[in-house]
Amino acid sequence: MARAQRSSQSNAVIGAGAKLRGRVHGDGDLLVEGAVEGDVAIRGDLTVEATGRLQSNVEADSVTVAGTLEGDVTARGVVHVRAGAKLTGDVRGESLAIDEGAEFAGRVEADFELPAELAELGGARAGGRRR
Amino acid sequence: MSNVTVIGEGAVVRGRIQGEGDLAIAGRVEGDVEVSGEIVVEVKGLVAANLTGQRVVVRGAVRGDLVGAESIELDAGARVVGDARAPRIRVAPGALIRGFVTTGPREPGATKSRTAAASAARPAPKPAVAPKKVEAPQSAPAAKKAEPPKPVAKIPAKPAAKSAPARGATIAGARPGPPAPVVPALRKGAKAVHKKRA
Amino acid sequence: MATTVIGAGITIEGDLSTDDDVVVQGTLRGKLTARDGVVVEAGGSVEADIASGPAQIAGAVTGNITSTDRVDLQNGAKVVGNVKATRITIADGAQFKGSVDMDV
Repeated sequence: MARAQRSSQSNAVIGAGAKLRGRVHGDGDLLVEGAVEGDVAIRGDLTVEATGRLQSNVEADSVTVAGTLEGDVTARGVVHVRAGAKLTGDVRGESLAIDEGAEFAGRVEADFELPAELAELGGARAGGRRR
Repeated sequence: MSNVTVIGEGAVVRGRIQGEGDLAIAGRVEGDVEVSGEIVVEVKGLVAANLTGQRVVVRGAVRGDLVGAESIELDAGARVVGDARAPRIRVAPGALIRGFVTTGPREPGATKSRTAAASAARPAPKPAVAPKKVEAPQSAPAAKKAEPPKPVAKIPAKPAAKSAPARGATIAGARPGPPAPVVPALRKGAKAVHKKRA
Repeated sequence: MATTVIGAGITIEGDLSTDDDVVVQGTLRGKLTARDGVVVEAGGSVEADIASGPAQIAGAVTGNITSTDRVDLQNGAKVVGNVKATRITIADGAQFKGSVDMDV
């Protein structure tokens, strides 16, 4: 029932068992329960359910991943990687949350400043700027 | 085993911290840190160091890489510029990180396998080029075509089929072969038809 | 309930295949294969061949429709393409250009 409710809220749903090879773009939310191979660029929120599998570069407002996502993520809002999710790719977003139990491998880009006092300290080279 | 080291608020440590036990940092630390237990960077903590521990918990600010043998936890308010690697990583909403984040097995597998796959894919064309050079004396490909213009059309036409596995040779051979007259003929005809229709 | 919905404002370019239902309120270009029903709602646009179970079309379809069941072209539908189905209805107000092939 919960899924049905969420489905009706989302503008677009790729249902479980559905396979899509191609691009998805436009205005509105997208819920992925099936498999998508191709890039996604939407003005709306993207949710990848536990059954969902994306091999896509993704651009959306917020991105919530409980399934598998292979590709780079660009979010205008929050990126949330839930327990059980598997995300391989670089993430750029306003902020990123990773739940314990999620698998993640990728670069995280976020715009923020470290405290000014820290800049005065020497010590370790800033690892985040390597590579 | 319950020895806990505390770098209190206002304390500054420059240098290497290494040893058994847990470490709580509420002050400033500059230099590398490696302990067997848990490292907690408190809200007021400012760290410019690579942190290695069983568990690494950050509530303050860190410039440096984090390595957790067991886990890494970034609480709300944490700010980290550096890479994070641990079997389990939790980034709470409100925590900020910029760097490479890798969960799972201890070796930085995903990162390297990705780049390895990419670099493995790149050299692939090279072997394809090499056989072409080997065939060169036999089938007279690209280099010879450039020099004697006349025999080109005939010579590569035959070996093109033989040397099919070498892409460069095939493509190069195909151009002066049969397709050449066909394509212009089609184009001329097609254009004429379109113009007439339009 | 694993219905696939392409919402208004969303465009999919590519092949979509599913064992379940598909509802199109937005745009699909490419190919659509559904073992179950396909609904193209008013405002929805499909530029693709459709292979499906029962199909209800109230939007625009450019492409051939092959259904294992019935095809209903409803009021407001605009279909350009051939339809192959066991049964077909073309409602008053539906536009249709193409041939019909019914398995008898």
